[in-house]
Amino acid sequence: MPFTEATALAVFWSAATIVFYIGARTLHRLRPCWWLSPLIVTPTALLILALTLHTGYRDYIRGTHWLVALLGPVTVAFALPIYEQRALIRRQWPVLLIGVLVGSGIAMTTAWALASVLGLSDSLRLSLMPRSVTTPFAMAVSSDIGGLPDLTALFVVLTGVCGAALGDAMLKWLPLRSSLARGALFGMGAHGAGVAKAHQIGSEEGSIAGLVMVLAGLFNVLVAPLLSYCLRAFA
Amino acid sequence: MSIRARKIPVLIRFALHHSRVLQIAVIIGFWALGEGLVRRFDLPVPGGIIGMVLVLALLASGVISPLSMRRGAYWLLAEMLLFFVPAVMAVLDHHEFVGLLGLKLLAVIVIGTGLVMGGTALTVDLCYRWQVRHALH
Repeated sequence: MPFTEATALAVFWSAATIVFYIGARTLHRLRPCWWLSPLIVTPTALLILALTLHTGYRDYIRGTHWLVALLGPVTVAFALPIYEQRALIRRQWPVLLIGVLVGSGIAMTTAWALASVLGLSDSLRLSLMPRSVTTPFAMAVSSDIGGLPDLTALFVVLTGVCGAALGDAMLKWLPLRSSLARGALFGMGAHGAGVAKAHQIGSEEGSIAGLVMVLAGLFNVLVAPLLSYCLRAFA
Repeated sequence: MSIRARKIPVLIRFALHHSRVLQIAVIIGFWALGEGLVRRFDLPVPGGIIGMVLVLALLASGVISPLSMRRGAYWLLAEMLLFFVPAVMAVLDHHEFVGLLGLKLLAVIVIGTGLVMGGTALTVDLCYRWQVRHALH
């Protein structure tokens, strides 16, 4: 019967996703090097499994989209870190605001300009634009401005991996004096992966990176309707 | 009111402060409320954002204690990767990414991310120095 087959597939892929995720997390705890991060291992393992079983994305996501739907409650959960960092916000709000504005501006314009120079299609260009903010926010912005949210999730993950890898070199090269700048570098450039990295440098850098990540996400979602209007006006 | 009746809110609060599952349920409730409001008033932002603003307002006004959501919220944030990994699998439908197009996409991401990191960090550092200098005078 088609119904039971669909249910069985949904249970199988949901279970595979969760098991691979827990496995990757455990592996990373045992051997904490960057290329064994769950961010890389989980999707790679799932891709290999899907390719060997000849499963397409449509069949995979039909059974697992409930996990993606939980990104909604994750967005709500961001209220806690914002509330608990309110002292930092009150003290440093002008600098944080400027950092988020400049960072988001650079992220959007470089994605737009580089994608145009390399001749990428319109939907790819729009999916690349919100890639510097954390996934739940980036996917919301992407669907708002006419990109493909699923592709944006992929670009967000690649951005996180690349930002976390670039971060150390950037810290060495740039003459940064404040923990504020070091935190903003990771929070704006590499969202979740960057925040984890910033926590390794120092707890102050970590909190700032987390805060910058959330504020950048929030800022991008709030300007997305305006941005989509401008994009349509210029297209 | 009997003592037993008065104990019920205390018990609920105790359960809420100590159960991560209950806290996650409350957070999902706020998300559903946000989605409902977005649909009802046709708002241009996702329901999760409305839910987040509601929670922030309730926390700031002291109506709810951070303890009633803290464990659930940090659990959701820590396990966030699990919730977006399925979307990343969209790459299964994009065989064209294997090859030149994939390299172009990587170039956009690597160069863009480098510029974002450098630009943001230098701007923030400049603002910080300006602030320190002006605080001294």
